[in-house]
Amino acid sequence: MADTTTHPVRHAGGVYGRSIVAQIRAITEYPADFWVMASAGVMWNVLQFAFLTVLFAAVPDVAGWRYHEMLMLSGLLTVAAGSTALLCDGIWSTGTYVLKGEIDYRITRPAPVVVQVASSHIGMQGFGEVAFGLVMAVYGWIGAGMGLAAVPAGVLGLACAIVIECALITMLCAVNFWIKGTNSVFAFVMLDLQHNAMTLPLALFPAAVKLVTMFVLPVAFVNFVPVAVLTGHLGPWWLVGPPLAAAASVLAAVGVYRLGLRSYDSSGH
Amino acid sequence: MSSAFAVDRAFAVIAFKRRLAYKTQWLVGLVLGGGAMLVSMAMWRELLSGGALSGYDWDAMRAYVIIGFITATMVFGAADWQIADRILDGHVAIDLTKPVDFQRARAAEYIGSMCSTVPTVVFGVAGAWLLFDPPGPVSVTAGILTAVSLLLVFPLAFGITYLTVLVCFWTKRYLGVMWLREALLGFFSGMMIPLAFMPSWLQAIAWALPFPHFTTTPSAIYLGHVDTAGALGLLAAEAAWAAGMWFGARLIFNQAVKKVTVHGG
Repeated sequence: MADTTTHPVRHAGGVYGRSIVAQIRAITEYPADFWVMASAGVMWNVLQFAFLTVLFAAVPDVAGWRYHEMLMLSGLLTVAAGSTALLCDGIWSTGTYVLKGEIDYRITRPAPVVVQVASSHIGMQGFGEVAFGLVMAVYGWIGAGMGLAAVPAGVLGLACAIVIECALITMLCAVNFWIKGTNSVFAFVMLDLQHNAMTLPLALFPAAVKLVTMFVLPVAFVNFVPVAVLTGHLGPWWLVGPPLAAAASVLAAVGVYRLGLRSYDSSGH
Repeated sequence: MSSAFAVDRAFAVIAFKRRLAYKTQWLVGLVLGGGAMLVSMAMWRELLSGGALSGYDWDAMRAYVIIGFITATMVFGAADWQIADRILDGHVAIDLTKPVDFQRARAAEYIGSMCSTVPTVVFGVAGAWLLFDPPGPVSVTAGILTAVSLLLVFPLAFGITYLTVLVCFWTKRYLGVMWLREALLGFFSGMMIPLAFMPSWLQAIAWALPFPHFTTTPSAIYLGHVDTAGALGLLAAEAAWAAGMWFGARLIFNQAVKKVTVHGG
C-alpha cells in the first residue's frame, strides 16, 4: 500500500531514484555493452573535438567565434544531451509502450506515468558523453581565459541546459501518443539537427532559424545563448533567457504528456 | 537473371520493398541528410568567402558537400539493424539451417535496402542542385569514374557494416557499435571536414582505413584532384577494400558463430 501521507513530489522522486538505481544494477550485469556504449559516447565527442581542432588550424574564427568558444559550445550541448541519456532515456520508449499498450500497467501504479517511463532505461553512452563533454567545456573555458567569477553563470547555464533538453525530448516523444510508431522521429530529428546546427554560431544561419531556435523550439538556450553570454557575444541580460526557456519547456512537456495520456486508449482497438 | 542470383535478387527485392513500405523513412532521411547538408553549406560559405582553403574554393566545396550527402544517405539509410537483430534475437540459429549462405543473403538484403534510399538521394540532390548550382565533373571520364566509385560504395558499405554487426555475437545491444562505426565513418571519410584540412599524420591514418572511399575518393575524382591514372588507383583500392572485408568477414563469422547458443533443449 502506498504511503498516502508522503508529499507527492517526494514520493515521485523516491520512485524515480529507486528505478534509476535498478537500471544501474542491470547495467553492471552486461559490462561489454556498458564499455561499448560509453566508448561510443566518448568517440563522437573526441571526433567533434578533432573536427574543431583541424578546422581552426586553417581558419582563425567562424563568424567571429574562436576555437575555445566553439569548444564550449560543443561541450555544453554534449553534456546536456548526455544528461538526458542518464536521467530520462526511457522516455524514448513512449512510442513502444503506447503501441503495445504497456502504458496501462504504469497508469495503475501510484507514481506519475512520465516519471516511470523516463526512468525505465539508462543510455549508457551518456556516461561517456557527460564526461568528455565536461572536458571539452572546461578546456574551452580555460582556453577562452574565463575566470572563476563566471562560474555561477556557467552552472546556471548548465542546469538550465539539462532541464531544457530533457523537457524538449519528453515533449517530442509524447507526440507518439497521437502519431503511433516505435520510433520517436520528432525527438530524433531535433537531436540530430541540434548536433549539426547548434554546435555552430547562429550568425551563420538565416533569421528564420534564429527565431525558431529561440522562440518556437528553444534549443538555442541549451548551449548557444549561455555560451554567447559568457564569452561576451551577447549582453548579460540574455542570461534571464535560459531559466525562462527551461520553465516554459517543462510546462510544455508536462502539458503535452498529460494531453497524450488523456488520448491514450491502450492497444487493440 | 540466372538462377545463381535468383535467391540474391529475391532477398534484395524483399528488403527494398520492406524499406519502401515505411515512407516516413524517406522524409526523415531527407530532413536529416538535407539538414546536415544545409548546415555544412552555411559554414563553408562563410569560411570560404575570403578564398580557397586547403585546395577547396566555394565552387569545389559545393560539389564536395553534395557528394557527401549522397554517400551519407546511402550508407546511413541502409538496414543494418535487421542484420543485428537477427543475431541479437537468435534468428541467426534458424538462418544457419537454411540452404542459403548467411553473409550473401544479408549482403543482398543490405544492398536492396541501400537501393531504397535512391528516392531520397534523387530528391535531395535535385533540391541541392537548384539551390547551390554546383560545378559539373571536371571531365566526362571523371564523371563516369565518379559513378563507378559511388557504385563501389555498395559492397564497401556492406563490408564495414557487416563486420561491425558481427560484434553483436559478443554484446547484447547494437546501438553503441553502430554509433562507433558512424562516428569513425563520418570523420575519416571526410564527411565532417575534407581530409586535405587534416595534418599529414592524420591523413595517413585515414588512408590506411577504408573510410575515405565513401566521400574523399568520389569527390577527388569528380573535382579533378587526381588524374585518370590516380582515379583508377583509388578505384582499385576501393575494390580491394570491398573484397578484403568480404573474405575477412567470412573468417570472423566462422569464429563468431560458435557463440550461438540454442536454448530450450
